[in-house]
Amino acid sequence: MSTSDPSKLISKADKLTKLSLTRWSADWKSATVLYEQAANGFRVARNYEKAKLAFEKASQGQEMLSSPWDAAKHMESAAALAKELRNWAEVIDFYRKASELYMQCDRPQPASDALAKGARALEDALPDDAIQLYTDACVILEDDGKEQMAFDLYRAATSVYVKLEKYTDAAAFLLRLGLAADKCNARNSQCKAYLSAIIVYLYAHDLKQAEKCYNDCSQIDAFLGSDQNRCASKLLSAYTEGDVEEIKRVAQSSAISNLDNVIIKLARKLP
Amino acid sequence: MTVIDLITRVDAICKKYEKYDIDKHKEANVTGDDAFARLYGVVESEIDAALQKSEAAATEKSRATAVAMNAEIRRTKARLLEELPKLQRLALKKVKGLSREELEARNDLVYSLKDRIEAIPDGSTAAAKQSGGVSGGWAASSSYTGIKIDSSSEEAFESEYFQQTEESDRFRQEYEMRRMKQDQGLEVIAEGLDTLKNMAHDMNEEIDRQMPLMDEIDEKVDRAASDLKSTNVRLKDTVNQLRSSRNFCIDIILLCIILGIAAYLYNVLK
Repeated sequence: MSTSDPSKLISKADKLTKLSLTRWSADWKSATVLYEQAANGFRVARNYEKAKLAFEKASQGQEMLSSPWDAAKHMESAAALAKELRNWAEVIDFYRKASELYMQCDRPQPASDALAKGARALEDALPDDAIQLYTDACVILEDDGKEQMAFDLYRAATSVYVKLEKYTDAAAFLLRLGLAADKCNARNSQCKAYLSAIIVYLYAHDLKQAEKCYNDCSQIDAFLGSDQNRCASKLLSAYTEGDVEEIKRVAQSSAISNLDNVIIKLARKLP
Repeated sequence: MTVIDLITRVDAICKKYEKYDIDKHKEANVTGDDAFARLYGVVESEIDAALQKSEAAATEKSRATAVAMNAEIRRTKARLLEELPKLQRLALKKVKGLSREELEARNDLVYSLKDRIEAIPDGSTAAAKQSGGVSGGWAASSSYTGIKIDSSSEEAFESEYFQQTEESDRFRQEYEMRRMKQDQGLEVIAEGLDTLKNMAHDMNEEIDRQMPLMDEIDEKVDRAASDLKSTNVRLKDTVNQLRSSRNFCIDIILLCIILGIAAYLYNVLK
């Protein structure tokens, strides 16, 4: 059966599901099996369009069979194929649907994973939508109480913002990262997040904001006694004095070199 | 004329002009009651000894011995300077057999003696003038000695002090170089430690992140294991039931009955 033409399988499955005079209820079980086989066949044949279609139908079938997990899995495969086809709207749709299905299974983690995958796929093409997806993913994780996983997502979102040169948004995201880190007692990540936020503000030539940010962060004990705090204060004092050499020297220091790559690039370009 | 004749003639001439022989007089005076002359003679001999010692000190290679000799010379100088006022008093005293000019001459002699004593090089005169400059640094002292060129004694010191400053200069330079190298090494170590610290922190957070996941896995695996166990037990029961001896016997009996019936039919039909 699996060796036969996938299109034949699809037409067969379609016939099974279409309601007509002879058929009073669609036979989703066999139809789904056929759809899955057809989809795999198309994928092997690199017929992405048809494969995507087949996966969609398979997922629908699984939904009808009330197994959201399998449905979600098929949706994800369909989305991956849509990515190959660069059909971005469909990519967003599919990934969102997949994540919803995962939530139906009470599995928030795969849900956020699905959204993250979608965001990563969209980073170059539709950065705004990517950011939306990242935010939604982070929200899902935070609701579940698993902020630790959200760190990577926050960092990815910040890098997208920086690419878009939306520095205030980037800094805001970093502060959210700091908040999440605080909840999990991840002191090092928290301090790094705050230092990165200050650097982003400085890069945007917003000295007042940077100082305000620094003051806010100094309220937090964990940040106050850390290496990153000292580095930040050195940076700010160098800025207020207008000492370019000092700024460059601080940017070369090890505290900054441990941050994210994107942030390091900003720091090196500082004055 | 023979040599003997020459010698006798010389002797005769010396005897004739003996009264002009100052040294002999001095010697005679030494044994006489002239206290001034006696003291004067002593002082002069001590000055000569001190001069000799100072020359030895100038040529001395070892700094410690040079310093010791200089100290000795200084002590002698101090003592001599103390005795000078005594000499002066004696000089003013009238001694029989001495003219007035000689008396004044003695005064001048005393003064000149004072100058001579102070002129003895002892390695301290130059230092006293440079005490201000020495604290500033050895290099400064060499420039100080360069400025003073009036007295010969200073020239003798120039070379001495220059040696000192060179040596200490080199030492100081070496010390600075070593310290800089140590600083550099320590900086490298500090950077390495920073990287290690960062990596350790990240690892810590990663492990913290994975802990709840491991707990979940543990739970799920436990549940799956218990499910499997119960399933196994049930399966065993079912299989046992299937293979129970009672069923087996019933099977065999029924089989025999069927065979019997078949045989009977066969017989009947035959």
